[in-house]
Amino acid sequence: MNDLIPMLSGSLGNPFELIDLPVDDWVTWFVDWLVNTFRDFFRSWVSPPVKTVMEGVQWLLTSTPPLAVLAGLFVLAWRAASWKVGVFAVVAFAFIGFMGVWDELMTTLSLVITSVLFCLVIGVPIGILCSRKDMTYTLVRPILDIMQTTPPFVYLVPAVMLFSIGNVPGLIATIIFAMPPTIRLTNLGIRQVPGQYTEAATAFGSTPRQILWKVQVPLAMPTIMAGLNQTIMLALSMVVIAAIIGAGGLGLLVFQGLNRLDIGQAFVGGLGIVLLAMVLDRITQGLGEKAPGSRASSDD
Amino acid sequence: MIRAEGVTKVFGPNPESVKSLLEQGKSKDEIQSETGHVVGVNNASFEVGAGEVFCIMGLSGSGKSTLIRCINRLIEPTFGKIILNDPEHGEMDIATMDGPTLRRVRSQHLSMVFQHFALFPHKTVLANVVYGLEVQGRDKAEREELGKKYLEMVGLGGWENHYPDELSGGMQQRVGLARAVATEANILLMDEPFSALDPLIKVQMQDELIRIQQELGRTILFITHDLDEAMRIGDHIAIMDAGKIVQVGNPEEILVNPKTEYVAKFVEHADPTGVITAETVALPFSDRYFNRVGEEAGNQIWNRTGYTDVEFHVDTNGHLAKMRCEGNDVALHELEEKITESGGAPERHTDAAVHCTTDTILKRVLRGRAYSELPVIVQDAEGRLKGIIDEPELIHGILEKHGYAQDD
Repeated sequence: MNDLIPMLSGSLGNPFELIDLPVDDWVTWFVDWLVNTFRDFFRSWVSPPVKTVMEGVQWLLTSTPPLAVLAGLFVLAWRAASWKVGVFAVVAFAFIGFMGVWDELMTTLSLVITSVLFCLVIGVPIGILCSRKDMTYTLVRPILDIMQTTPPFVYLVPAVMLFSIGNVPGLIATIIFAMPPTIRLTNLGIRQVPGQYTEAATAFGSTPRQILWKVQVPLAMPTIMAGLNQTIMLALSMVVIAAIIGAGGLGLLVFQGLNRLDIGQAFVGGLGIVLLAMVLDRITQGLGEKAPGSRASSDD
Repeated sequence: MIRAEGVTKVFGPNPESVKSLLEQGKSKDEIQSETGHVVGVNNASFEVGAGEVFCIMGLSGSGKSTLIRCINRLIEPTFGKIILNDPEHGEMDIATMDGPTLRRVRSQHLSMVFQHFALFPHKTVLANVVYGLEVQGRDKAEREELGKKYLEMVGLGGWENHYPDELSGGMQQRVGLARAVATEANILLMDEPFSALDPLIKVQMQDELIRIQQELGRTILFITHDLDEAMRIGDHIAIMDAGKIVQVGNPEEILVNPKTEYVAKFVEHADPTGVITAETVALPFSDRYFNRVGEEAGNQIWNRTGYTDVEFHVDTNGHLAKMRCEGNDVALHELEEKITESGGAPERHTDAAVHCTTDTILKRVLRGRAYSELPVIVQDAEGRLKGIIDEPELIHGILEKHGYAQDD
């Protein structure tokens, strides 16, 4: 009887002292194994395409005279959204240019464009697969949760170990972090297409593939565009973090500014990111509203 | 053209298990409370001939929409056969065919019009109309030519590049109709196509369908909950109640001879004047209702029992040779002629009568009565006197939906 009280207050009362799960060791072991086994694979198969696209986009943006970039931007924003958005985009970009950080802007823009491109190329097909079979989505969903909720800092380390420092690990981290909305909203958009349209397409003898491409994907386009919009915003939010492992651009300005307590430089970088975010947001929102599938909302 | 044999649809976890209960003749409600399975369609059999408009009518929940979806297998029937008579391949059972064959049949033989139109909102009107042709794999030029032709036919020429949300409900359903006929499928499945439209537009669309049907002569399976609509456009009508087809017949048969109380209840409020024929309501020309009062110039003279002022002179062939009212000869006219002539306010003649054939609908007979106060003469195709329609017959016919003769 007398022994019971110290037991309760000791190890029995606190079960956490009895078992010590060495998860940190396991993860260390796993990452070591991952890095040792796949480093060559990642460096020779994953890295080059990302790097090539990134360099291509960057070359295109930096070798084009700024005035031509502004003109192109205006046309894009005008066609995708409206002439007002076009004017806003040009003013915002010109302002960033006049702050003297045009090159950094172009680098960040190429980082965003590249990672979003990969998010779409990988995410949209996965989203479509998820919408076809409940089982697929059940499997993919926890992975998406992990991708979205793991703090990006956590996977910066393995990214660096796999890809060394520079733009590429930053891009990989950004792609992982920004892809979930594309998958989720592609899946959601296709599932939300009203049954009457797929029924009509079926009644006219369409194959499942025809139903997907002629009816479901176009009608899901506004939702897929909303996913694209979120993906772009997430990708932008990663550029500062990616700067820690050597990605360049506006994020690097902020990171260096904070390190050197150069508030002015950090602010310039931050303002640039905010303006870029607003421009990209307005353009992609316009795309969603102008997608032909958006007519579905006004139809009963 | 298409025939359903014992088509049954049971919803629930194990639909096959209720087969024996269905064979025992248990009702939908009994099966639902015993096993939890819902019987959507119970042993429906019917046949639709080529070029015919076959209406399936019933209240909501009677299984009519499920039945039409079993025909093209948007819903898989649990039991039964759906035999399609395809001129190329002979008889085929839709219920058991494999996926690719089913898609070919859907694309080439069966097309569909939906209650809520189901036009693709992201496609233009023309792109909607040619959707079925696109699935058939026709080339672009041919598609557009056919698409424009059928848009023209439904009265929407010039609307090609608009989007469905820019059109009114009636116009949208015209596009739906054009989309269905454009595939040149010989069978058209129409699932309450006009139910979502305003009453006036609805009647317009019915007329339009009748006109298009006269032009194209497709086989139409038409679902509706509106008996007047079924009577207007259907050659045959099947009435469904709780998943079962309770009566099949032409509109007049259904109206005059409802087989069950359920059908009778429907029929009660239907407008009979467009369906019932002169033959049904006429007082038959026989010695039961008429008295022979003499002979003149080889013709027998008859009176209606109790009415001595009108005389009917009938020749040896049974034709009406002469008619006399209060001793004066009466001019005899073709009913249709007089209806078209008297456009304005009716001037009711006492010196002229009209005659019509046995299949003339009551509505026309009523118009005829506006021209003349004398009984309408009903003749068969050979011109023989079959009976007369006077005020009592008209009133009785409209109220009771059949003639005096059937009361006796």
